[in-house]
Amino acid sequence: MSDNHRGIEGLPPAMTRLAHELARLPGIGEKTATRLALVLLSWPRERVIELAESLLEMKERVGLCASCFGLSDCATCAVCANSGRDHGIICVVETPADLLAIERSRSFTGAYHVLHGALAPAQGIGPDDLKIGPLIARIEGRPAGSVREVIIATNATIEGDATALYLAKALKPLEVKTTRLARGLPTGSDLEYSDVATVSAALSYRREL
Amino acid sequence: MAAEERAAAIVLRASDYGEADRIVSALTREHGKLGGIARGLRKSRGRFERRLEPFSHVMLCFRRRPHGELVFITRAESAGLEVYEPGDDLAKFALGAYMLELSSALIREGSDAAGAYDLLAGALGELCRRGASNALRQAFELKLLRWAGYGLDFSCCRRCAVGAGEHDLRFAFVVAEGGLLCERCRRASSTGAQALAPISLGQLQRLTILPIDAACAEPAALADAGGAINRFIAYTLERKLRSLAFLEAMLPASVRAQS
Ligand SMILES: [Zn+2]
Ligand SMILES: [Zn+2]
Repeated sequence: MSDNHRGIEGLPPAMTRLAHELARLPGIGEKTATRLALVLLSWPRERVIELAESLLEMKERVGLCASCFGLSDCATCAVCANSGRDHGIICVVETPADLLAIERSRSFTGAYHVLHGALAPAQGIGPDDLKIGPLIARIEGRPAGSVREVIIATNATIEGDATALYLAKALKPLEVKTTRLARGLPTGSDLEYSDVATVSAALSYRREL
Repeated sequence: MAAEERAAAIVLRASDYGEADRIVSALTREHGKLGGIARGLRKSRGRFERRLEPFSHVMLCFRRRPHGELVFITRAESAGLEVYEPGDDLAKFALGAYMLELSSALIREGSDAAGAYDLLAGALGELCRRGASNALRQAFELKLLRWAGYGLDFSCCRRCAVGAGEHDLRFAFVVAEGGLLCERCRRASSTGAQALAPISLGQLQRLTILPIDAACAEPAALADAGGAINRFIAYTLERKLRSLAFLEAMLPASVRAQS
């Protein structure tokens, strides 16, 4: 346990333990964690059980969609299972958070594919560590011509650009139209932190690779 | 509070920390390698004109903290520094990432690294302007090793000093010697020996001496020489660099003599 979580005299060990766990969350410091623990202590027992069960349920049920590798609590996610969406267009993103950013913009009705990262050779992340092979298999597994376009929506960073380039090359033999999000996103910014209008603009002004 | 300091820096590594922070390792000319944390970087872009990601070349403003903790990065400005954008070519990207990782591995925090900064800045500039080549890779490796105190000598036998190319002797690079042994001196037991063709010996000497921009215009030494440098780096660092496999896939070694 770090010095920060040595425990405060007057705070029972059970609360120190909870505060320590809460402080692992992004944006939560020691003070906030202690305040949250105090709030949780004041909750009725049933609500605390509800919270604890929802955490466990999420952990036990949520996995990855076998087709697009987005988050899902069954083998095929809601997007992949939705026959109202256009499965002829696949938008490739780095992370599930990026997928949600595009969904929030309500400007895309196709399917997704989540790579789970971008090329980062110095971190030991190469093409085989991303879901690139499964994307190719997914397109090859469909009748020829049924995937009309792959939109590469990796971040506008150097690693995102290199990943887009690698993907475009890997997709070339499949003869699928490949596009890249327009640089509506300021260079170096994450999709995840872009506003709805920016995401829509980047989608509508995508350019062919 | 410590005074704000400023330094031109090349970001070697960067990773997200928590919701909006970024932890950065950067090579500065004046203060060597620095580890820092940029708070709120991913959300508020005002203080950070440029993103802090590998290859970012920025004027870093930072405040030191006691006990050698990560410095607080307060701002990052472009300040007219050369922009490195190797994301438009996979061989460039792979070689650039390798250069950053090698620098990160060979440069210790707190040491004077002006020479290494100038070398890395020069090499990344050449990389982005002229593209990736094995000559650039080898020249950078040899020069950075020399800067770090591992100057490799390809001119003569480490034991008997007979010059490379004399008496029709064959030479091999022996990792533990950091240089060549002639066939007469090389005992059968020496490990990690890599036989080097005469043409590779000459080329390695040239790449060692020439400035980085001139070295780029040279043909690369062949795969045997690349292998020798590789082995020496792995021996020195006691590990393989993580970016090596991707680099070798994107920029294969030259196997034939180039004219
Ligand atoms: Zn799915
Ligand atoms: Zn000798």
